[in-house]
Amino acid sequence: MSAPRPYNLVAELTYRCPLRCAYCSNPLGFARVPDALDAKVWGRAFREAAELGVVHVGLTGGEPTLRADLREIVTSADEAGLYVHLVTAGTTLDEVGIAALREAGLRSVQLSIQDADPAEGDAVAGVSAHARKLAFAHAVRSQGLPLVMNVVLHRRNLGRVPEIISLARELGAMRLELANTQYYGWALANREALLPTREQLDLAAAQVERARFVPGGPEILFVLPDYFAARPKPCMGGWGKRTIVVAPDGRVLPCHAAAEIPGLEFGSLRERPLAWCWGEAPGMQAFRGEAWMREPCRSCPERARDFGGCRCQAFLLTGDAAATDPACELAPSHALVVAARDAAEAAVPPLRLRGDSALRAPAAR
Amino acid sequence: MTWTPAELEARLRRVLDERYHHRHPFNLRMHEGRLTPDEIRTWVRNRYYYQTRIPIKDGLILAKSSDPAFRRGWVRRIHDHDGVKEGTGGLELWLRLAVAVGLDREEVVGLRRVLPGVRDACDDYVRFVESHDLLESVASSLTELAAGEIMKVRIEAFERHYAWVEPDGLQYFLGRTRQAPADAAEGMAFVLANARTQADQERCVAALERKCEILWRLLDATWAAHARPRISSAAKLRRDPAGLAALAILPERAVRLNETGREVLALCDGERTAEAIASELATRHPGEQDVWEQVHAFLAEMTRLGVVEGRKPA
Repeated sequence: MSAPRPYNLVAELTYRCPLRCAYCSNPLGFARVPDALDAKVWGRAFREAAELGVVHVGLTGGEPTLRADLREIVTSADEAGLYVHLVTAGTTLDEVGIAALREAGLRSVQLSIQDADPAEGDAVAGVSAHARKLAFAHAVRSQGLPLVMNVVLHRRNLGRVPEIISLARELGAMRLELANTQYYGWALANREALLPTREQLDLAAAQVERARFVPGGPEILFVLPDYFAARPKPCMGGWGKRTIVVAPDGRVLPCHAAAEIPGLEFGSLRERPLAWCWGEAPGMQAFRGEAWMREPCRSCPERARDFGGCRCQAFLLTGDAAATDPACELAPSHALVVAARDAAEAAVPPLRLRGDSALRAPAAR
Repeated sequence: MTWTPAELEARLRRVLDERYHHRHPFNLRMHEGRLTPDEIRTWVRNRYYYQTRIPIKDGLILAKSSDPAFRRGWVRRIHDHDGVKEGTGGLELWLRLAVAVGLDREEVVGLRRVLPGVRDACDDYVRFVESHDLLESVASSLTELAAGEIMKVRIEAFERHYAWVEPDGLQYFLGRTRQAPADAAEGMAFVLANARTQADQERCVAALERKCEILWRLLDATWAAHARPRISSAAKLRRDPAGLAALAILPERAVRLNETGREVLALCDGERTAEAIASELATRHPGEQDVWEQVHAFLAEMTRLGVVEGRKPA
């Protein structure tokens, strides 16, 4: 099958991160993965991505601003003609640093904020970060760069959605992404501590609707999390369909969690051109299109909308990456998701911050 | 837990406090005397489409009831709106308002140049009543609880700030100050008597919220016609490297543009209004259908996506 045209490149420059967020969805073994690509190789990746049709690059991680050569990386992405977007936790750069990146070709910034409540935010991030994040947001705006604010939602901050929306307004964000926790990596290990209640979600949804009646605010993106929706999320807009993810080790993936699925062979930019890694690598082909689907997906009219949901979630919850995403009510394994919701309603364990030694492997296999 | 009738009424009134369009910036500006004659005319012309949907909506509600007493009461609304003979009634009074603000009566009656966003919002209201039961349909009409008050404010505002509008044009508002409270009392009594379970009560609250949303969208679309769109500072327009189309790139988003889309965006200079751009395109493409509507719909979509910023009049 010929590869679809990608639009977006997610460049994971490093897995290093000064935060220890309990909801982190990066792979558990991330600390052992070195930053394998230097700025030259990233420059090559950007040029090759542009040739494939990519128009937008998100520089992310981990914390991309920990790269000493970030300015050079931004310059090469801009020179390749890509729209350069930085995804950061905002604790490492001051306004001088942002100004330098803007001059190098940075177009926009996504800032993660944990909560509207500083103490709660710092508690879930595992470090004192909230105040620095606010200062960072002001610096981004005073440099004239558009700001997207991203807040990962879970049961500990869902009650403060109105305050979070107010904060996004104050900071001058053009868009607020109320992103539900995705249960991969550390977040899966913390699932029972993070899963919200149905009641919390309904209230938050109503609060988001109300906020739309106050003019002049940011665009607000909020969807019901897949654990509570009847159908799975259209993960990544389809496996290997629109977005190329390059991990810090140089592997080219369909999403940031796919390397966790055993037995898939992905290409690496250290060895191959991007076109091969995207178009030909067996791992990238594995779940492209619909041929891999079984029932009930294979004959489901919604497969064109949700692409069968998320392969990583299917693997993490059932051990089989080709299974129907358990988030779907029609999935044979949907009971796993129902049980997780019920467990979270019954008792809430304490959060474990990323890197806590008590945790060795995902708990929900 | 079921609410008492007093609690349900308070809950419904709170919906109106929070979401009724008396809070909408366009209405606030209207009542502060800050609308231009053109903006007033756009509102009157578009709001007429809403007026034309009201008797249709009330006819649908009538058809849902098997109670003669209910129908006898409710049919008055259709008489109020359509008149008991030609040349009377709320629709006719609205047309007098249209003429008083300087619009062409035939153009308004013919529903020409109704903004697509207004049309969609009003059609959604009719569809809502079509597809919901009697209780929810009646609950959705309870915006009338707030209508009497807003009409009084509006009459005062027109007399004070828009003296160029002939006083005869204000007859519609005056009529509604009398009719709306009676209509609202009738609707509220029905809802309080019939919403007995918690689920019923919640459906009523949701129906009223939905109706508020529809009125809000109507004004959003009206106001957007007078915004002066310009390309957002976050957007980068470029040729699509893999095709002939153009793309607008935004943070975490790309929007594909066809030739006409590019032509429209080229006019988004922050000086021309959306209305001026739509009229210009319609003039440039005389042979094509619905250009004016399509440009307005396109600009609304581009605004929603963040490609253009709809700078509002200062």
